[in-house]
Amino acid sequence: MELVQIQRRLVDYTKSLFMEGFLDAQFLQLQQLQDDSNPDFVFEVVSLFFEDSEKLLNELTIALDQPNVDFKKLDSHVHQLKGSSSSIGAQRVKNACIAFRNYCDVQNIEGCLTCLQQVKQECYLVKNKFETLFRLEQQIMASGGSVPTIELGF
Amino acid sequence: MATMHRVVQSSVSTSDATTTTYDGLTSCKAADIVISDQFPAGLRVLVVDDDITCLKILEQMLHRCRYHVTTCPQAKVALNLLRERKGCFDVILSDVYMPDMDGYKLLEHVGLEMDLPVIMMSADGSTRAVMKGIRHGACDYLIKPIREEELKNIWQHVVRKKWNENKELEHSGSLDDTDQHKQGHDDAEYASSVNDATDTSLKPLKKRSNSKEEDDGEIDNDDPSTSKKPRVVWSVELHQQFVSAVNQLGIDKAVPKRILELMNVPGLTRENVASHLQKFRLYLKRISGVAQQGGIANPLCGPVEANVKIGSLGSFNIQALAASGQIPPQTLAALHAELLGRPAGNLVVAMDQPALLQASPQGPKCIQVDHGVAFVQHSVKSESSSSKHFSQSFAPVEDVASGFRSWPSNNIGTAGPSNSGGLSSQNGNMLIDLLQQQQQLQKPQQRSTVSELRRSINVQPSCHVVPSQSSASFRAGNSPVSVTQNGSYSRTAVIDYSLISSQSNCPSLNIGQVSDVNLQTTGVLSGYIPPASVSPSVSSCSVNADNCASQQVQTSSMTFKASRRLPGFVHSTSNIPDPYGSTKSGDLLNQEPFNNLGYINKGTCLPAKFAVDEFQSHLSSSSHGKVFSENIGTRVKQEPSMEFGDNAKVGIPMLQQFPPNDLMSVFTE
Repeated sequence: MELVQIQRRLVDYTKSLFMEGFLDAQFLQLQQLQDDSNPDFVFEVVSLFFEDSEKLLNELTIALDQPNVDFKKLDSHVHQLKGSSSSIGAQRVKNACIAFRNYCDVQNIEGCLTCLQQVKQECYLVKNKFETLFRLEQQIMASGGSVPTIELGF
Repeated sequence: MATMHRVVQSSVSTSDATTTTYDGLTSCKAADIVISDQFPAGLRVLVVDDDITCLKILEQMLHRCRYHVTTCPQAKVALNLLRERKGCFDVILSDVYMPDMDGYKLLEHVGLEMDLPVIMMSADGSTRAVMKGIRHGACDYLIKPIREEELKNIWQHVVRKKWNENKELEHSGSLDDTDQHKQGHDDAEYASSVNDATDTSLKPLKKRSNSKEEDDGEIDNDDPSTSKKPRVVWSVELHQQFVSAVNQLGIDKAVPKRILELMNVPGLTRENVASHLQKFRLYLKRISGVAQQGGIANPLCGPVEANVKIGSLGSFNIQALAASGQIPPQTLAALHAELLGRPAGNLVVAMDQPALLQASPQGPKCIQVDHGVAFVQHSVKSESSSSKHFSQSFAPVEDVASGFRSWPSNNIGTAGPSNSGGLSSQNGNMLIDLLQQQQQLQKPQQRSTVSELRRSINVQPSCHVVPSQSSASFRAGNSPVSVTQNGSYSRTAVIDYSLISSQSNCPSLNIGQVSDVNLQTTGVLSGYIPPASVSPSVSSCSVNADNCASQQVQTSSMTFKASRRLPGFVHSTSNIPDPYGSTKSGDLLNQEPFNNLGYINKGTCLPAKFAVDEFQSHLSSSSHGKVFSENIGTRVKQEPSMEFGDNAKVGIPMLQQFPPNDLMSVFTE
């Protein structure tokens, strides 16, 4: 594929992620932070997020598996996940976390289990999205081009 | 642009490199000097967050703001880092929910020990959570996800804090200024400090502070030009005279003029007495505030661990008293006197007063009490030998906490890290005063008073402790020593006066910090920044002034001083907040153990620049005797925040009072 085409594809793809709510404006902040001194910033941060979230999701699964569910602990994990997902702009994950927390507040185990599934699903989805995004970027870089900056002009 | 950015970064990194050596004053000074030109670039930020994703993002954002960033995923490690590298950070960004330590706890510790502005962050943006942050003294509260723009402004908290501290010093140092002038400042400061406080009562103050802030520049300019008073060293004997004069008059009626007359010391000015009186009252307040929950951090305690045990014992004595909340200033003074009278080191003293001692587990607290204890003891004896005791008793304390040490040493006029000591001694004096007045030197009495204090005082964790009932006997207008249960010395002192329990800032650095912010352990500072001014002791203005003057350095301070023109004010959380932002509602007080009750462990050294400012502000506040008595009296009964404002005057002009340093002069203009 030609460089220009890949670049356009990247732009369109990114925009679609915003439109579908996978990403929000915070992701733009992240992109803006990337510069020459930190050329892989977004990639690094997103990778960190997924590492971290995997651990958190495991903890959540274990916690919900207990005979006596510790809702406080559950809540703190979800809170953390909410914080980090919002920091990278993973909007749908964040929203799923908010719903999760509501169920934690009322100590509804069923609701929590459902939400956990939802959060996992959203994480998985957005992870795939990011992977596609980064792949496109790599292609562009490999072709000697530069990654176009996304401007949200909704 | 990119080039510029890189250049900036490199310059920042150079300064960063310099600052990161942390070898001593020179390195930091150099860094400060370099940074000042590009302020706020080079601002040294410590970020604490267990979420590494957020940590990384914040780090990058802060780098983009040209700040020097240090990240730390664990709160405990961060606290150690802060303790080790005192004076090497300007502001702290901390997450609220962390696994190893609650963010609020960290906030309290920082406020007590280092008196640095702390900004809280959390994905939880509920009003309740934000309020809690404010109460604990956070300078500001950011809601995640955080944007870069929000971080660009964090330098304002550093400036504001310094400014207010300077104002305090300034006001305390210049009694000659018209009352109106001072009052205005007081109001302004007070208002600024409570800026972020949600208490509606403070709102009117805000307006004043706003207008004041505008005037600050002018006023500040005026002050420095006028008085360059020689520093008075409050020796033990002198202090004894002071205390007995205050006791004679009654803590409530002790006005600088009468005290001066009674003391009959040639060469002593009313201003000197006024500033000393203010410090003493703050000290008494602090003492009483600390007593409440054992958890009161002793600002004087530099090394928390070491002091923990000792401090708790000592602090209890006074704290217990204070905690009871019902201890009138006189009692405190008496207690103080008694404590001082005890021979042998603070530690011993603390332990000797079982009645007063109540378990204050937290380390930092103890020092404070010890301090007070030693002080009290000293005053009680009132013998020629007492001074010896004083020094002796303090000696051990010093070991425990440099801050503590400085306290007594300041009073005695000894060298050493005395800077911080100055303040404490002042407080001790106040305490003695109170105690003497009450003549309740007996333990049983003290015990009861302590318990009374306890009941009446609501201790706010990391905030200024505010007596539960404004009408608490202790508080009630008796003495300025209202028990502010602020962890920080200075702060509490200030706040006590104002009876401000509301805590705001400070991000903490709220109000509480304003006054005695200088309490930081001078030990640490002495080597480092000139003046210990940073630390503690506002009360030991004289001592600090010397230090400050000589040192001045810290370009950063310069920067900050220069920034006084900047809008100032008070951290977003409001001046009061400093860590000790007293909570108005007081609900926090009752619940959490007051770790750092009002005693800011000034051990941490603030960069010299800050030190100077603090010092000055303290001076201004303390010297503002007239206003002080008036305000305190009225304010005490009212909102604490008001008083805080009084004390929290940023005394930028005060800076000028110190021997001008080249750097300083540049900025003071």
